[in-house]
Amino acid sequence: MSTAQRAPLVELKHVDRFFRKGNATLKVLQDINLNVYPNEILCLVGESGCGKTTTGKIIAGLLNHSGGEVNVQGRPLASYSDRREKAHLRRTFQIVHQDPFASLNPSHTIAKILSFPLLRHKMVKNRTELAARLLELLELVDLTPPQDILNKYPHQLSGGQRQRVSIARALTVQPKLIVADEAVSMVDVSIRIGILKMLLRLKEELDIAIVFITHDLALAKYFAWQGRIAVMYLGRIVEIGRTPDVIGNPAHPYTRALLAAVPEADPDVTRAKEEMPLRSEDIPGLLNIPHGCAFHPRCPFFVPGLCDAEVPKLAVARGFNQEAACAPLELGLPLTTYAG
Amino acid sequence: MSASADVRAVLSEKSLVQRLSSGTRGTVRALLRNKAGFLGFLGVMFFIILTTLGPLVIPYEGDPRLDRLRPGARSLFAPPSVEHPLGLDVKGRDVLSHIVHGGGPLILTALEAGILTTIVAVALGAAAGLLGGFIDQIISAASNFILTIPQFPLLLVLATIVTFDNRLGMALLLAVLNWPTLMRAVRAQVMSLKSRDYVEAAFALDLGLWHITTREVLPNMISYIVVNMIFTIRSAMYFIIALMFLGLVPLTEPDWGMMIFIGKQQGSLSNPEAAWMLLAPVLAIALFQLSLVLFTRSLEEVFNPRLRQGV
Amino acid sequence: MRKLIRSYTFRTVVQGLITIWAVMTFTFFLIRLMPGNPAQIKIDEYVDRYGMSEDQARQQVATLFNYDPDQPVFEQYVDYLSDLVRFDLGRSLTSTETPVAEQILRFLPWTLFSVGLALLVAFSLGVLVGLAMAYWRGGLLDNVMTVFASVIYAIPDYIIALLLIMVAGVQLKLIPVGELYGGSTQGIEPGFTVEYILDLLKHAFLPVFTYVLATIGGWMLTMKSSTISTLGEDYITVARARGLPERRLLTAYVGRNAMLPLMTRLAISIGFVVGGSAIIETLFLYPGLGRNLVLAIGLRDYTTMQGIFLVIAISVVVSNILADLLYGWLDPRVRLGGDKGTE
Repeated sequence: MSTAQRAPLVELKHVDRFFRKGNATLKVLQDINLNVYPNEILCLVGESGCGKTTTGKIIAGLLNHSGGEVNVQGRPLASYSDRREKAHLRRTFQIVHQDPFASLNPSHTIAKILSFPLLRHKMVKNRTELAARLLELLELVDLTPPQDILNKYPHQLSGGQRQRVSIARALTVQPKLIVADEAVSMVDVSIRIGILKMLLRLKEELDIAIVFITHDLALAKYFAWQGRIAVMYLGRIVEIGRTPDVIGNPAHPYTRALLAAVPEADPDVTRAKEEMPLRSEDIPGLLNIPHGCAFHPRCPFFVPGLCDAEVPKLAVARGFNQEAACAPLELGLPLTTYAG
Repeated sequence: MSASADVRAVLSEKSLVQRLSSGTRGTVRALLRNKAGFLGFLGVMFFIILTTLGPLVIPYEGDPRLDRLRPGARSLFAPPSVEHPLGLDVKGRDVLSHIVHGGGPLILTALEAGILTTIVAVALGAAAGLLGGFIDQIISAASNFILTIPQFPLLLVLATIVTFDNRLGMALLLAVLNWPTLMRAVRAQVMSLKSRDYVEAAFALDLGLWHITTREVLPNMISYIVVNMIFTIRSAMYFIIALMFLGLVPLTEPDWGMMIFIGKQQGSLSNPEAAWMLLAPVLAIALFQLSLVLFTRSLEEVFNPRLRQGV
Repeated sequence: MRKLIRSYTFRTVVQGLITIWAVMTFTFFLIRLMPGNPAQIKIDEYVDRYGMSEDQARQQVATLFNYDPDQPVFEQYVDYLSDLVRFDLGRSLTSTETPVAEQILRFLPWTLFSVGLALLVAFSLGVLVGLAMAYWRGGLLDNVMTVFASVIYAIPDYIIALLLIMVAGVQLKLIPVGELYGGSTQGIEPGFTVEYILDLLKHAFLPVFTYVLATIGGWMLTMKSSTISTLGEDYITVARARGLPERRLLTAYVGRNAMLPLMTRLAISIGFVVGGSAIIETLFLYPGLGRNLVLAIGLRDYTTMQGIFLVIAISVVVSNILADLLYGWLDPRVRLGGDKGTE
């Protein structure tokens, strides 16, 4: 893999994101450090509310960060002051939403939806070129025969077809990065694999980086086997590394718990799986994030006085290839079940 | 190559024409689908034809017709007859001629007021919803302010200050008073549409604020806006007639509101003989307003692409 | 203290006070822009009615009025404001020097009584019928009532009033309209007697009936659609599967939850009770605040207009704040505030 040698498309350095809610401040993201490299696959995994969508939107430039630094293609985001430059930058990063029913404007035909960006950015010279490009785009996303699709309205398509149109729309502006936010979670299971395979093909053919956001580790494992996984919990990254490392040899107790919860098709495998009972089922709210490691109230390997003292830093522990934010691991302590 | 054939197929004008014709047919079907709505449509059409073509057929009687005093009768009032289908008024004039000639100005003023109100409300609502922040606060404060003053008394006061020698002045005044309610609704709609995924996608595609407003946000509000415009027309009419009712606008005949005012002034409200002079405009107003409200149901179907095109 | 200033309720109240002040100031200057002034109108009246000369009338009026039309408007405003902070609304310019506050107190009960009663009747009847319409959707009751509600909702209130007078009163002689004008019959001693109360109800009948007819359609249709969406909720299906009696289901589960969105509208409507309906009160010669405002506008009675506009503005602002608080209090989702993030 040579992806890591290329300069990163996006660099997040100590990025925070806060939302005001009435009189309270929600710390949705804290101290996020993350690079996205060209043509790589990066999976953001976590439960709902962990900040993965917010991270995705900051990467896509759709949301401002509250603190820290965002560098885009080697330059600080703030240094892009020229309007045209900024506009061009925005187009380089696209997003594919979760809900195929909400992501396409119901009042336009597919042809119009795809034509708007092409015409606005003068990516086609005349009607013939436009028509050719529309057909090419639909073929890219395996919507055939394309001329049947063009005159339809979104509500006349199936969920899977809509999601493909959504991807085709993102491709109109020839992006370098696509944030796919739970892009297949609302599509029928039987169609998912087809869309995922298509995304992988597009990544290779068009040299695109994909940030794939999901709550489903099994999906992440399938999709990002060649890439990296970042596991998020309550607004922080708790583990990040190459997919085979994270899945095959999870370091952080939270990642282990997530993996233990993944059901396997083979019941024998499921039964043979190591069980990992958490100390609490409750996920704390963003208004009262636990002190120290946010996972400590639920963690079976909790070490009093260590885990609840300071926020652990991401580091490579002995016996692992990936980084994890776990204080006992960092100190080389064996993880033992907390008895108290 | 088949690819270029496909390109030509997409480009061919025929498919475009086909789409257009199915659009008109769809509109007619949508109009017919809702029975109550279609009834309303017929009602609105009836009044429009009555007040535009009617004057060409039925001459207007403006001068008193004392010659129509029947021997032994105490007043000129008369019940419906073959020559005068709606009877005679206090001055012996044909009531039907006043109904036919007196609806046009009223409907036109209400229509102008409705359109003006809608333009103001949509522009301000879209600005408040899309831009947010300071502009939103100013617009919202202004609308709260206007909604806090009792509308009708305020109109009474304003009606004495601004003299209505022309229709547009009246329409403008009504627009100033009526925009806040619709503006609030539009603002709420825009805010909810703004957070839709496809609008976010349009931002990501850098399609520009103008495109996003006119092509992504407004088309999904058209049915809503049109329906509300009908309601504003209705409320404008309400206020105009109410003003006439209290004799606070320059009294010009012929006008439905004027007919009621004169009827009331002459004490004919309690005079059984005067019933036709009063009932005719009262029913005309009631039926026209009812038709407008019913018509909105059909309009909803016409403007909603999801209701219109079968899956 | 800082917490108080930043709290939502406090901000709402301050905003309300600012709105009331703004409305007060606006109306103060606006009504002084109206052509003619109270003195001139009185002078004209004396000239017209008693055949006085212009000068005579002017002298006569000067003894009656403490209003000086030549005083600069801004000075008048400062005077008015300084009286207002002492809760003094000033004196009426026309009706022989009555304090405005006293005048408002005299007319307000009529409006509160008639409009309040109508709101109560229309709301409770409308909610009940709307609930029944939704529950037996598609049935005879639903079909008949939907047509009735749509028709009645579409017709302006004064048209309903005129039809009442002309058709039910004058033509069919069902209602003795002539006897029902005004607030009460002269000669009946006001007091807590059966005779007087019955007389009050009799005279309130026409305006109350008009208000009820004009508003009930809206309540019915809103309640119907709100109930229909509530009936589709999962918890209703679950309650039904649990074997909950239909009757209890309808009252405790469906009705309660379907009424939630109507409660805020009710609170807002309460704000408009105070203003009454100028035109209906005028039509039925009902001695309420609305009719009084119309009369005051005609006479250019600045202080009375000021006072009534102020009272109405206060009631609208207060009821809006109430509606806001009520919404939060009734809906536990708003009351407790979700602490989940905005994912």
